Amino acid sequence: MNQGQQSGEAKHEDDAALTEFLASLMDYTPTIPDDLVEHYLAKSGFQCPDVRLIRLVAVATQKFVADVASDALQHCKARPAPVVKDKKQQKDKRLVLTMEDLSKALREYGVNVKHPEYFADSPSTGMDPATRDE
Amino acid sequence: MSLERRTHDEGERKDPSSSSSSDSYEFTHAASKSAVAQICETVGYNHSKDPPLESLTGFAIQYILQLGKSATSFANLNGRSQCNVFDIVLALEDLSCNNNVDEERVSLDSCSALRSVKLREIINFVKLSDEEEEEGAFIQTLPRFPVSDNKVKGKMVVPSFVEIGETPPGKHIPLWLPAFPDPHTYKETPMWVERGLDPRGDKIEQARQRRKAERALLSLQRKLVCRISSGGDRVWGDMDGGVKGEIREDESEVTEEERNGDGLSVVEAFAPVLEAARDGGFSEVDAEWKEKKPVALSKLRTVKKFLGEPLDLTLQMKGEDRAMSLREEDRDDKRRRAEFILRQCMENPVDLNQL
Repeated sequence: MNQGQQSGEAKHEDDAALTEFLASLMDYTPTIPDDLVEHYLAKSGFQCPDVRLIRLVAVATQKFVADVASDALQHCKARPAPVVKDKKQQKDKRLVLTMEDLSKALREYGVNVKHPEYFADSPSTGMDPATRDE
Repeated sequence: MSLERRTHDEGERKDPSSSSSSDSYEFTHAASKSAVAQICETVGYNHSKDPPLESLTGFAIQYILQLGKSATSFANLNGRSQCNVFDIVLALEDLSCNNNVDEERVSLDSCSALRSVKLREIINFVKLSDEEEEEGAFIQTLPRFPVSDNKVKGKMVVPSFVEIGETPPGKHIPLWLPAFPDPHTYKETPMWVERGLDPRGDKIEQARQRRKAERALLSLQRKLVCRISSGGDRVWGDMDGGVKGEIREDESEVTEEERNGDGLSVVEAFAPVLEAARDGGFSEVDAEWKEKKPVALSKLRTVKKFLGEPLDLTLQMKGEDRAMSLREEDRDDKRRRAEFILRQCMENPVDLNQL
């Protein structure tokens, strides 16, 4: 009984917090616009007239992209700095999102992204002439 | 893991979106790309190369699509068509890779969405972003899309029964379905015969015929003045014989319909002319007449029914007066003129129809 009462109270609290959070979503505008998210959700069959839920999805996506980007940023910063010729030049002046950093970051999410370094004309390009005959 | 499937999906997604969605694909892709770039900037990046940005955009789009798909399936499993917040939370849990499964997953006791780790993370994220008070909103303004095709392509959107205000024929048809087409599109329904323009057309036709009659009358008067001064009864006799002879020759060629169709109007138009012809006399006038209105003369047969007697009487008079040779000459003359007129009729069928 006690547990039931407690869980009931906790439920009310959680519900209140949830409704409060959903209300706060209306104040915060996600970076991804509502129209865009609504378009993609409609494409996948998601039907809901409530704007707050669409904002929830937008915020979730924004968080996902931000997580991946911040992980890539960590990899970028962790890379050893290039040779500094000028003493005024700092290490992290140019933070560029590259495919290397992105693939490393996404590997933690279980995604295998491999970017080809160059495109060759045929499979045997660049191989030793001895092995090419085979 | 559902995220693992997406390495090659990015390229494949572009092909099935042909037909209508290919128009919006480029637009939405570009918009999402700029949104993702803005998020990267918020994280701390100054620049980015294009391939990783494209990849990240593809992942973001796939994330949204997968969220929607999972949430919809959760809602459908519970017998609902519209999703709610719990469906989304479950979908979030489904897509995330949570290592601490036992402790912090959605517990069965409370059934509260806030038990979800992901949701708590999102709440914290929102709080952080709000506190930082950076310009997180999308910089550019997006137009409302997809653009409706009604005005652009002219597609007709069929309204539903509710929108029209009709009750569907049959209780088995729900109100939100498109309405049936109007019966006049597939059935022959009685038509309201609109005669709005006809009185005007009739008036125009009458005025034209009156004008022609007046012209003929004027020329007739002119000839009368000439003839009366020179000849006398002879004029009257010639006219009648010529008219009758040519009627017989013309009628065989001219169609019945034209005769019957305009008979009444022609009678009205030429009543004054014919009365004048009765009173006076003319010989060459009939040739002019025929050049203008060859068909009208063919209708004199009907006219004769109305005016009948006087013409017959004059014919009898003519028979008494004339000599045989003269009549034969006149007949040849009339025959030549009739042939000429017939040739004109054949050449200009349009003129006939106008009458």
